[in-house]
Amino acid sequence: MSLRGAFQHERKRREALVAGYVVPDNVRCVQCGICSYNCPIGIDVRRHAWLGEPVHDSHCLTCGECVARCPRGVLRFEKTPLFDAEKNPLLG
Amino acid sequence: MKRYVMVGGGVAALAAAEAVRRQDAGSEILLFSEDPFGFYSRPGLAYLLTGEVPEKQLFPFSAQDFRRLRLRLLHHRVAAVDLRAHVVVTAEGKEVGYDRLLLATGSSAVMPSLPGAALEGVVKLDDMQDARRILKLARRARRAVVVGGGITALELVEGLAARGVRVHYLLRGERYWRRVLDEHESAIVERKLEEDGVRIHRHAEVAEILGKRGRVAGVRLKNGEVIKCKMVAIAVGVRPNKGLAEAAGLRCGRGVLVDAFMRTGDPDVFAAGDVAEVYDPLSGRTVLDTLWPTARTQGRAAGLNMAGANHPYRRKVPINVTRLAGITTTIIGTVGQPGADKDTLGIVRGDSETWRTLPDAIAAQEGFEVNRIRLMIAGRHIVGAIIMGNQLLSQPLYRMIAGQADIAPVREQLLRPGAPIADILAAFWEQWRVQDGNRTVSV
Ligand SMILES: Cc1cc2nc3c(=O)[nH]c(=O)nc-3n(C[C@H](O)[C@H](O)[C@H](O)COP(=O)(O)OP(=O)(O)OC[C@H]3O[C@@H](n4cnc5c(N)ncnc54)[C@H](O)[C@@H]3O)c2cc1C
Repeated sequence: MSLRGAFQHERKRREALVAGYVVPDNVRCVQCGICSYNCPIGIDVRRHAWLGEPVHDSHCLTCGECVARCPRGVLRFEKTPLFDAEKNPLLG
Repeated sequence: MKRYVMVGGGVAALAAAEAVRRQDAGSEILLFSEDPFGFYSRPGLAYLLTGEVPEKQLFPFSAQDFRRLRLRLLHHRVAAVDLRAHVVVTAEGKEVGYDRLLLATGSSAVMPSLPGAALEGVVKLDDMQDARRILKLARRARRAVVVGGGITALELVEGLAARGVRVHYLLRGERYWRRVLDEHESAIVERKLEEDGVRIHRHAEVAEILGKRGRVAGVRLKNGEVIKCKMVAIAVGVRPNKGLAEAAGLRCGRGVLVDAFMRTGDPDVFAAGDVAEVYDPLSGRTVLDTLWPTARTQGRAAGLNMAGANHPYRRKVPINVTRLAGITTTIIGTVGQPGADKDTLGIVRGDSETWRTLPDAIAAQEGFEVNRIRLMIAGRHIVGAIIMGNQLLSQPLYRMIAGQADIAPVREQLLRPGAPIADILAAFWEQWRVQDGNRTVSV
């Protein structure tokens, strides 16, 4: 990846930290549980990955520990559609 | 009330049980598992070895989850199946009837017949008991020898190295995993291993495992060299556990042969997971996969069909994301290399026969250090890819390969020597995903 690409990635990551939620890609998941183990507030991220559901947990700090620790790149941040009531769990 | 019996307590059986329960709320579901630990993440055993995760974390289902599904987990080995009578017979001789049966017995490590293979200290990595044994031995062993190829051999190397054991990794050929990785990729992995203190022996073949009072004391190589060690870890391949099906008279090849609905030769008996040999519409052949997500998808399809649905299993492009010597690596589709791999016998763990298939394709590649992308391009399509290191493009590539994206607009650019492949792909992906936005790739 080019430097520019890497830089953009980093910026996107920071933005996601502010207004994002964690989304699993379950073709990659092997249920090892490293994500849940590293969640500082004890969200069972692995269960979300098993169910193929994003972590729409209002307690989620979006600290990124689970995303960073997953050895298989299962988890990623997606930006919360802030003004889309249908998709944003905090509105709607 | 219908009774569903699942043999095997792994992910395929669990996924089947969940699917049956969804279709048929009132039925009885019995799950036979000879593994005393029940259902846990088998690939997670590698992270138990490195110390990234504690043992109790490897269990995805709690007792409550089992209760909610109203599953009865029975810790017995099933020794026989009587198709005519519709009964399974446990090792203790107890007969249990079924209406529908699932065989999800997984696969087991192949152990080569070497002199000394029965000594204490010779280990494999199939299940929790093996992982516990390895961790216990690693506390005493200063030196270990690892034999084999593919992912599990490296997981053993890395797990032992993480525990402070000095590892000698023996390769029969000249490089690591040569049917799947190309020369550069093998070199990246080998260099990283050597940096981490692993001693790689090339063209090295074990003649004999040496023992002292019943325990491993070393190995003698065919060239006469002796390596002293307390442990020998072996990962040369796995074999589907098809014995039960074969003895029952079900149609078997390398695994238990199933149709598109995961049904065996008997209409009331299904198979899924590592043990199942499925039809691959892409190649027109039957294939084995030893992949967790694949086992789950097959189990789900089998379960739905056992409960009366009409849900074909459609084999998708196989993918695995793993770490090779600490480098995150994604393998997708057909990426095979010519030649033979002397370190493995058939399929290994976390493997797909598809990967070794030699595509009629041209390789395009970028990066020779830790970050590398190799694409296999056949006509207007990317048919396989290996992504090492930076994984930004791994999900887009999976989507483009599985969705058979027409890459004609960028094909020439990609194949130009020294092409900035990652940038070209990233730009192409942005366009393609918009066009393809409504077509989701499900697995
Ligand atoms: C160390 C390791 C690393 C791996 N790495 C990866 C990876 O990177 N990526 C990936 O996708 N996959 C990986 N895998 C493979 C993955 O774990 C398997 O593909 C998956 O577990 C297959 O599920 P299954 O349900 O078919 O079989 P299994 O999980 O093997 O379960 C079968 C169960 O059936 C039981 N059983 C067998 N016979 C009987 C009988 N007669 N009676 C009662 N019970 C019986 C066995 O005890 C076992 O518990 C790895 C596996 C291991 C061990």
